Amino acid sequence: MSESSSEPATESYSRPRWAPGASANGRGPRSQTGPDRVDAAPAESVGVSDLAGAPAAPLARLVRVSKSFGSTHALVDVSVELERGTIHAIAGENGAGKSTLIKVLMGVLQPDSGSIEVEGRLAKIGSPVTARALGFAAVYQEPLVYPHLGVLENMFVVGPERSRLGDLDRNAMRRRALAIFDQLEVDPALLGRKMGDLRLGHQQLVLIAKALVEEAKLIIFDEPTSILSGAEATKLFRIIDRLRAAGSAVVYISHRFEDLEAIADKITVLTDGRVAGAFHERPFDFDAVVRLMSGRETRAYDAAPAAHRKAPPGETVLEVEGLSCPPYCEDVSWQVARGEVLCFYGQVGAGRTEMAKAVFGDLRPTAGVVRMEGKELVVHSPRQAIRAGVGYLPEDRKAEGIFATQAISENIVASVLGRIVARIARYVRRSEVRTLTEGQRESLQIKMAAPAAPISSLSGGGQQKVILGRWMVERLEVLVLDEPTRGIDVTTKAQFHDIIRSLAADGLAVVVISSDLPEVFAVADRILVMRQGRIVVSFVNDGSARPEEVLRYAVSAGPEPGRAGGGDHQRARPGLVPPRPQEVSEQ
Amino acid sequence: MSNVPIALQGGPAPVPSRVGHVLGRIEYEGYLLAMIVVMGLVLTFTVGSSFWSSTNLSGLLLDVAIVTVPAIGMTLVIVTRGIDVSIGSLVGVVAVVAGLAFEHHLPFVLVLLIGIAVGVGGGLVNGAIIAWGKVPPIIVTLGTLSVFEAITYLLLGGVWISNIPAKLTQVVVIDRLGPVPYSFVVAVALVALFSYVMARRPIGLRIYAAGDNPEAARTAGLAMWRIDLFVYALLGGLTAIAALMTVGQSPLVMPTTGQNFELTVIAAAVVGGTNILGGEGKVVGGLLGAFLVEIVEDAAILYHVNSFYQQIVLGAMIVGGVSIGVARRRRRRTEGSLE
Amino acid sequence: MSTTQLPTSEQAPPGGATAGHRGAGALSRLLESRVVVQYGLLPVVLVGVLIAGEILAPGVLSPSNLSSMTRFGVEIGILGFAEMVVIIMGGGGIDLSVASTAAVTQVSLAVLLRGGIELWLGVAISLAIGLALGALNGFFILGLGVPALVATIGTYFGYAGLALVIANGVNIADFPSSYLTIGQGDVVGIPVEFIFIFIPVAIVLGYVTSRTKFGHEIRLTGTNERAALLSGINVRRLRFSGYVIAGMLAAIVGVVESSRFGTAQPVADSTYLLTAVTIAVLGGVDIFGGEGTILGVVLATAVVTIFEYAFSLAQINAVIELGSVGVMLIVVVLGQVGLKSLRSYAARRSSA
Repeated sequence: MSESSSEPATESYSRPRWAPGASANGRGPRSQTGPDRVDAAPAESVGVSDLAGAPAAPLARLVRVSKSFGSTHALVDVSVELERGTIHAIAGENGAGKSTLIKVLMGVLQPDSGSIEVEGRLAKIGSPVTARALGFAAVYQEPLVYPHLGVLENMFVVGPERSRLGDLDRNAMRRRALAIFDQLEVDPALLGRKMGDLRLGHQQLVLIAKALVEEAKLIIFDEPTSILSGAEATKLFRIIDRLRAAGSAVVYISHRFEDLEAIADKITVLTDGRVAGAFHERPFDFDAVVRLMSGRETRAYDAAPAAHRKAPPGETVLEVEGLSCPPYCEDVSWQVARGEVLCFYGQVGAGRTEMAKAVFGDLRPTAGVVRMEGKELVVHSPRQAIRAGVGYLPEDRKAEGIFATQAISENIVASVLGRIVARIARYVRRSEVRTLTEGQRESLQIKMAAPAAPISSLSGGGQQKVILGRWMVERLEVLVLDEPTRGIDVTTKAQFHDIIRSLAADGLAVVVISSDLPEVFAVADRILVMRQGRIVVSFVNDGSARPEEVLRYAVSAGPEPGRAGGGDHQRARPGLVPPRPQEVSEQ
Repeated sequence: MSNVPIALQGGPAPVPSRVGHVLGRIEYEGYLLAMIVVMGLVLTFTVGSSFWSSTNLSGLLLDVAIVTVPAIGMTLVIVTRGIDVSIGSLVGVVAVVAGLAFEHHLPFVLVLLIGIAVGVGGGLVNGAIIAWGKVPPIIVTLGTLSVFEAITYLLLGGVWISNIPAKLTQVVVIDRLGPVPYSFVVAVALVALFSYVMARRPIGLRIYAAGDNPEAARTAGLAMWRIDLFVYALLGGLTAIAALMTVGQSPLVMPTTGQNFELTVIAAAVVGGTNILGGEGKVVGGLLGAFLVEIVEDAAILYHVNSFYQQIVLGAMIVGGVSIGVARRRRRRTEGSLE
Repeated sequence: MSTTQLPTSEQAPPGGATAGHRGAGALSRLLESRVVVQYGLLPVVLVGVLIAGEILAPGVLSPSNLSSMTRFGVEIGILGFAEMVVIIMGGGGIDLSVASTAAVTQVSLAVLLRGGIELWLGVAISLAIGLALGALNGFFILGLGVPALVATIGTYFGYAGLALVIANGVNIADFPSSYLTIGQGDVVGIPVEFIFIFIPVAIVLGYVTSRTKFGHEIRLTGTNERAALLSGINVRRLRFSGYVIAGMLAAIVGVVESSRFGTAQPVADSTYLLTAVTIAVLGGVDIFGGEGTILGVVLATAVVTIFEYAFSLAQINAVIELGSVGVMLIVVVLGQVGLKSLRSYAARRSSA
């Protein structure tokens, strides 16, 4: 539901409020001790003429923007105003729609419905080129750069300075770049380097400078601090402060509360693609933010968390000690027991996936020991890990999971082919393929037209079941599931949770990497929270752990001395110091 | 995943040795030049009199020129992550068209222009199918290779063209600036021109960008099709110049004219340091690569090495040049992440 | 790593096209059907070529013509198999050196035979040489990381030179007469090499690439290299063995070819490469990897053979015939790419 569509635009600053966009599907957020709540007004179409005349129209405004991918609603009726000289933070869990929001603003995706207004006029952002022409720029988490080109060239690929003869005027470009580097306090020496030789943090600074060179009026930062050191982050905040002072509109996408605390002027919380709430004035009530962020799919919490944990977990199967895989994870130690579901919770970029891949032999760790049933396990490839009894279901289903054009049955037997060949003739026994496929079809309730149909004919949930089936036909001791239910509908999600529990009940050690709190609480025996490549806390999921606490550890530095921002953070919000966790160490 | 910039791999990297550090300062072109000089010195001390004879030297320079000119275009094509194996048979087409034009007594300069136009046209065909058909360049140019060959044959009609005006030979081979044939001067001038284009003109920047990170370039709104058309058409035009030089060098046009020429040109480009994976490459590298390839060939002749070995050496230079490039970039990656 | 990943479009239609998009659903079903997916428009093309052949050279399909045609098709067909194996495995796989490999093996066989070695041993050694040359390709590509395209351009050159060196630049003609049966004899009018080499190779390779673990794995690897790696498939070893197989197949072609001509030629037949790649993609091998069957390649071999044979019967020059093959290659790949985008368009339409 829109924030302001039913009010004159001029009033939109006047009072703090948050718009419960969720009411569109009849399920509003629970009543909170948050900021004032305004009941959703019925939607009204906004005439362009009204807007054009409105004084001080915000730089950009999204009006009831929706975007779906198949059955997934990435954005639902999202309305946000982005004003000049304001740092507008968008907070939300992974999958809440933040990335989609950026892509809509940057012309990469077209909204299904709703409109975007720029400086009071309707704008159709059909392509990234249009977005740039409107003065929009985005600095992505993984900078999109030309690694073999120089820094200066990277900044001027589009619209370079030219001399009278049409040559590239490097001196003029350098002057412009240096002026901006100076303003951003970036080392001018970088200008002579190749982009690919720079650290990620520096690449990001160059891209910010590029946005300024292009005179962007709206700059979007997508999780910028996840690749930065503490000092670099502090510097970035100074830069963003200056952008605000210079009148830019800044969109700051993040899940880190110390970032928001440090720089945000406003916070909009996205939950399941909807605006769950908006905070327009400092100081922010971060307790409320946490509640809104974790409030997604609230029903999932209703399941009695400890109900299925009757039998005590068996002996330890896999033990990881001091695993480091820079720059992703550092000195990580954990263990998982037979029959146990161990969940890694954290935000994107916390290093969970890379940590798992290092255990699985897909990334090479620089330090650490992995033990399997007490014996040291050295793996250099996924193949060896699988042989040792470790399976890994990747996070990115399309890029690393499915063989899109291949048959469903092919997808299921991909890793066990060696086991089902005939003795002498070495052919893959079709009867075995059929048996294995039918077995998984039944036990995982995969709805398919025929086992020979390509996997791409299934829904996302169906595809994910097939890949899970691929691991079920293996003889595994440990199964790592990386975001097993991302982008999957609610019913299938619940099925997945049942499957995960029953796998553990059958004696498998299951490790689940998830950024979905309700999911973590639904399946976990134990919860480890990772943040910036380290395990920061551990909980036992016996009803004593609260979702808010878990989330808080994932999004902000804990009480122990953490990053540079940690101290300030406590001072600013004494109420937010996380309570003592039930179990801080592994033992 | 695969196009994540190299520096992402971050982390502590081995400290490069002192020697490695010093070597790292020298540009790759420096090594090439050094190798050419070493080859020259060895030849001077062993077969000096025949190497420095004016026939050998000008013959060598002419050969270098003929390879260098299309190597400029090939470098740009490879920078955009492409390849073109059809230029050998394009040489045939241009040679035949020029030969026929000479037979019809068209004005000399007009014939040259027609030849170049034919080359550009052939390149445009490649470029258009690659740009709009989204067909891999190797497939397209493998196909046009045989199409151009067929056209050559059709135009020739089973006979050889031998009455090429002496003026062409005069211009290409005999006219010299001191000991240097004009053809070589032309090649060097073209290298200078396109070095300037790639370094100083906006189109050069766009070509590098398109090859370095096509996704980023597309997002930035670069018209990729225009870049494809440009580089393949340019290569076609430059190939035509090489074809005219070839006809001047040996005034006879036959169905096999230009055969396997593409391989020498690709060898020159990759030996010259062009990154076969795109995004990197200098036009001057094409010149140095051509020089190295041709001086090795010349050495083989002077030492009376069986000409069969030349092919092996050329093949080894292609594979060796690329694997050195791969290794070099790998090393730079680990050093670069030190930062 | 993948925060900016879009939720993928997950709704897909097991007949689930909504009423408004029934047409798109039917189109999508047609495009997904086995025949179209695997063999492209091959059956149509085959019929077309037959008709065109009859018009171009009446009587092209007489028994005697068919017999010489099969002889002609054996070599290019087997080279088509070689390209199929390396292209299916994806990752820019291609082998441009096959013709040169065939040249090396035939001249080394001739030299060995001239040296008085037993026929079977000579053949075995030349097959081993093909295997070694294929392994060298594999080493350059997977060991040194040189892209297949460039590595095999280099070895195309290098092996061609090697063949010239071995043969000292001349054709070698003194084969024992027993050897010539391979490429010149026939059994009830059917060429020996077709019955005893092409058919067995096609059957073995068809079996290996469709039924065995290797066959399943090359397809999976070509479809999604990362997923294959994470499923425990040894991608590097697999691709390496692909180049070894290609080398061996090229060696077989070298043996057959020298027997057919009665001479070993050190100069590689430059038309082989283009024809082999054309046959592979015409046979439904996806140029980007993951798809392809021996049956399709055999059909494509028939198409190209009839095509070329009709040309030669009509006394059209070989160069022009080759030019037409080149056009065919481009058109077929354009069609492949077009079909793919049409397919994904239909899928989008019916799932929207």
